Amino acid sequence: MLAIDLGAEGQVVISGRLDASQAATAQGFMDKLDGQVVLDCKGLDYLSSAGLGVLLKTQKRLMAAGGQMRLVGVSRHVRDIFTYSGFDQIFEIESAP
Amino acid sequence: MTASRRFPREIAALESVFEFTAEFLPDSAVSPALRRSVDFVLEEYFTNIVKYGAGTGAIGIDIDLAAGRVQVALTEPDANRFDVTRVPPVDITLPIEQRQPGGLGLHLARRLVDTLEYDYAPAERRSRITFTIGTPPATAAKTEQVRDAGH
Repeated sequence: MLAIDLGAEGQVVISGRLDASQAATAQGFMDKLDGQVVLDCKGLDYLSSAGLGVLLKTQKRLMAAGGQMRLVGVSRHVRDIFTYSGFDQIFEIESAP
Repeated sequence: MTASRRFPREIAALESVFEFTAEFLPDSAVSPALRRSVDFVLEEYFTNIVKYGAGTGAIGIDIDLAAGRVQVALTEPDANRFDVTRVPPVDITLPIEQRQPGGLGLHLARRLVDTLEYDYAPAERRSRITFTIGTPPATAAKTEQVRDAGH
């Protein structure tokens, strides 16, 4: 399951599995964001290409309006998917310790 | 050790697919990283069939676990030929303005598998994708050497 919500410090906290069955839910949340967005991925266990599509669409929209999304707490799995897709050149990423 | 199930041709069935892999590939049998890779590749091929497949019949998934490697076969009835081993690579160096998510899933799946085969039976209109992830212990060291040299 996927959970996505605003954290106490204004960051977006996402956890669980962002797969094709959850992409519409995630996109609905992301579509309401603007400006400089920090996506806390510490609890994100799994990301598929459907999830990458959500993040790409959101990043394009934010950047067109002068903002951007930055990812923090990124796991090895998510980092690998970003690297294999070239998304590590599109997003600023901070890996989990 | 092999397990087989059939799943309806819909995105919502992914949850059941993942329950299947979690049940058959528990942490005691494979590493979480290996099962995540299996889930990832399964999802990409499963959703590709759901989105673009011509038929309506259930999708069969067979999982075989042996000596540290997992082999998975997806069988699609009422299928048109679509050889996933011949999908052109995606240019991952394009700037964000030119990037599109389409096609990325098959590209990533290809990166994660150790072997990938496609078989099409025209008389039955049956398509089968078979992939393996993980390497039997006897050949693991050799394969890692090749990977290191290649990347």
